[in-house]
Amino acid sequence: MKLLKIEGDLGYYRDDRGEFTPVDKITKEDLLRLVNLTLDEEVEFEEYKDEDLKNHAHKIVYKSIFEKLRGLKERRQEFIDESERLYLQEYERYRDEPSQQGD
Amino acid sequence: MKKIDLHIHTVSTIRDRSFNFNLDNLKKFVSEAGLDAIAITNHDVFDGIQFRAINEALDVVVFPGIEVSLDCGHVLIISDVADLEDFEDKAKLIAQRITKIENNISVDELQKIFCDLNDYLVIPHYDKKPSIEGETLNQIASYVSAGEVDSAKKFIRAIKDETKLTPVLFSDVRICDELDRLPIRHTFIDCGELTLKAIKACLHDKGKVALSETDGNRLFQIFDDGQKLSTGLNVLLGKRSSGKTFTLNRISESNDNVKYIRQFSLVQQDDDAYEREFNNELQRTRSRFIEEYLSGFKVVLNDVMNVDLRANERSVEKYVSSLLKSAEEADKKDAFSKTALFDESEFPISEDRVLSDLIGSVRQIIENKEYRAIIDRHIDINFLKRLACELIELLWTKTFEKKKKKLVNGLIRDIRESLKMHTSAVQVEDVDLYRVSMDKRKVDRFSEIVKSLQREAIISEESIQGFSVVAKKGAFAGAGEIKSASGVKTAFRDSFQEYGRPYNYLQTLLANESLTPSELYKLFAKISYRILNRDGFEVSGGERSEFRLLQEIKNAQNYDILLIDEPESSFDNMFLKSDVNQIIREISALMPVVVVTHNNTVGASIRADYLLYASKEAEGGNVVYRLYSGHPTDLKLSSLDGKTISNHEIMLNSLEAGPYSYNDRKEVYEAIKD
Repeated sequence: MKLLKIEGDLGYYRDDRGEFTPVDKITKEDLLRLVNLTLDEEVEFEEYKDEDLKNHAHKIVYKSIFEKLRGLKERRQEFIDESERLYLQEYERYRDEPSQQGD
Repeated sequence: MKKIDLHIHTVSTIRDRSFNFNLDNLKKFVSEAGLDAIAITNHDVFDGIQFRAINEALDVVVFPGIEVSLDCGHVLIISDVADLEDFEDKAKLIAQRITKIENNISVDELQKIFCDLNDYLVIPHYDKKPSIEGETLNQIASYVSAGEVDSAKKFIRAIKDETKLTPVLFSDVRICDELDRLPIRHTFIDCGELTLKAIKACLHDKGKVALSETDGNRLFQIFDDGQKLSTGLNVLLGKRSSGKTFTLNRISESNDNVKYIRQFSLVQQDDDAYEREFNNELQRTRSRFIEEYLSGFKVVLNDVMNVDLRANERSVEKYVSSLLKSAEEADKKDAFSKTALFDESEFPISEDRVLSDLIGSVRQIIENKEYRAIIDRHIDINFLKRLACELIELLWTKTFEKKKKKLVNGLIRDIRESLKMHTSAVQVEDVDLYRVSMDKRKVDRFSEIVKSLQREAIISEESIQGFSVVAKKGAFAGAGEIKSASGVKTAFRDSFQEYGRPYNYLQTLLANESLTPSELYKLFAKISYRILNRDGFEVSGGERSEFRLLQEIKNAQNYDILLIDEPESSFDNMFLKSDVNQIIREISALMPVVVVTHNNTVGASIRADYLLYASKEAEGGNVVYRLYSGHPTDLKLSSLDGKTISNHEIMLNSLEAGPYSYNDRKEVYEAIKD
């Protein structure tokens, strides 16, 4: 699934309806959704190239989001693992060892 | 009875200070101490050649052994001499495993190496460091015959306690070139032939082990010349300069862990200095109490330390002014300032401590052993485990969400910053109003807590031997008091001006670089102590000395032997009779006590278990110091070289200044009796 694309001098992101909206309209909720998709799905982003984007505001927003999401995609497993390491030992012990009442 | 010492070192290892083994000194020790059996037990090593030489040279039973360093303490493994070669092989495996000071072996490895530990005498360090306890002791419990202790006091304690192992007291001596004093720790066992099997059988019966040959556990050896003391209360009498204090010093030097209350050490000399010292000592001994009392406040303070109200105010101001300005300039927006992220605020992220705490609590209920039965009666542990798992899963989800939001926040910040550089439009500053208002509430609550902490009140009243120690809290009266509570040489004058406004006061303390933030909790309220006497009044100088003596004696419980030199030098007879005698008797039920006295209130009324009499005698032009001893009911006390002296005479001479003055005093009292 493509999350970011460049078309006709402007940068676009995939919005909650699956349509592409100019990046200058992106809000924090949209960003969080893109982060979720990057962690959960197979996603791709159109490479940022300075010459492709003429609009300066779009350049700034697109470049930043593109680099962050690409970095996240590369470190996807590490990101997920770090949150799930909390209390993992206890979790595994309690999950695997049903005990008799009065043990 | 047979005298044994099964813990003797003859090889200098990495765990010993360096020494040269001296066979002649071992012979001397064994013969002068009258030992019937010994064991050679070096740290993690067994030297077969040396052992054979020792065995050859001595005419007592010598067992081969080794002191093994387990992961949590030391254990003696002693073998039958018939299995010498096999033992030598096994000991080699231990030596290979332990080549550095930090090496040790596990119980499993020990069992693997020695195959069946039942073939050996297994004696762990028990009430002796480094001791084997808990799970490790349980693992080897079935092989253990006895537990090694390092003082007569601990020996008696283990003997009296049915749940404890049979104690054994051994020298743990390094037999070196410079063996000035012969060791005095050993154990007597009621055993016929000294075989490993017979010793093991004896050690399984507490009735068959003792500290002395003929007096069971009532007496134990204190000097290498064979002098004994009672394991209870000893009274040491004697004229001036007859060697009493010398004897106490000797006991103090030849034993570890001795509590020695010296003559006059408790007498008040300089009033002010004494009072200061007394109060400091009191504060020190009670510091745990302060710590505990203020522990809740400490948590609050640590949290409030991170609150910066001024910075919060500034961020709200910036937010409002930027918002207003941006509204004003709404029509001037360019491509950069029109992007949604230009004025985007960040996701609020909170630390979810409640959930982590809850998981911790559930885990505690699952793991708790002490109250297991009650817990199991009410809750199925499997439900708890499922609850814990569900909570942990929820924590993962929440943590994951939080991480994502943090990432997005970072992105928003970056983009906002970059956009701002390309436009003259005013950007709306972000502000976390939730945190700002929470911080304000925190500070208000903190101020309320400090104010109530500063209200004067008694927070504890502890009764100690008739005195009561009253702890009071209240406000500091001036900068000087804060300074002394801080223990830091720095000025508190400016801080004290803000003392009535706790948050501002905290800021002044934080700004003071000489103070450690983790210690600041002591500087908000004064906690002071007062000692009140039986009548509820502040104690006098003399009473303070009494209190100190009682405290010193009470504190002696942490030692192995207590020595008191002339307690009467500081106190009146009523106090000695009613309090000192009683507390000395009580503590002598737990440990050996030696009291030197001239005073009949102490000497005659205390009901000693053993009497000693120090005497300076002229003999053929020389001065000889002799120590006579015996039970209080003995007609005669005897010295080690066979001299005797009348007990009645000593008592009257030492405590009543002779029979004449005793009778004289009696008549005086009779005459004035109403």
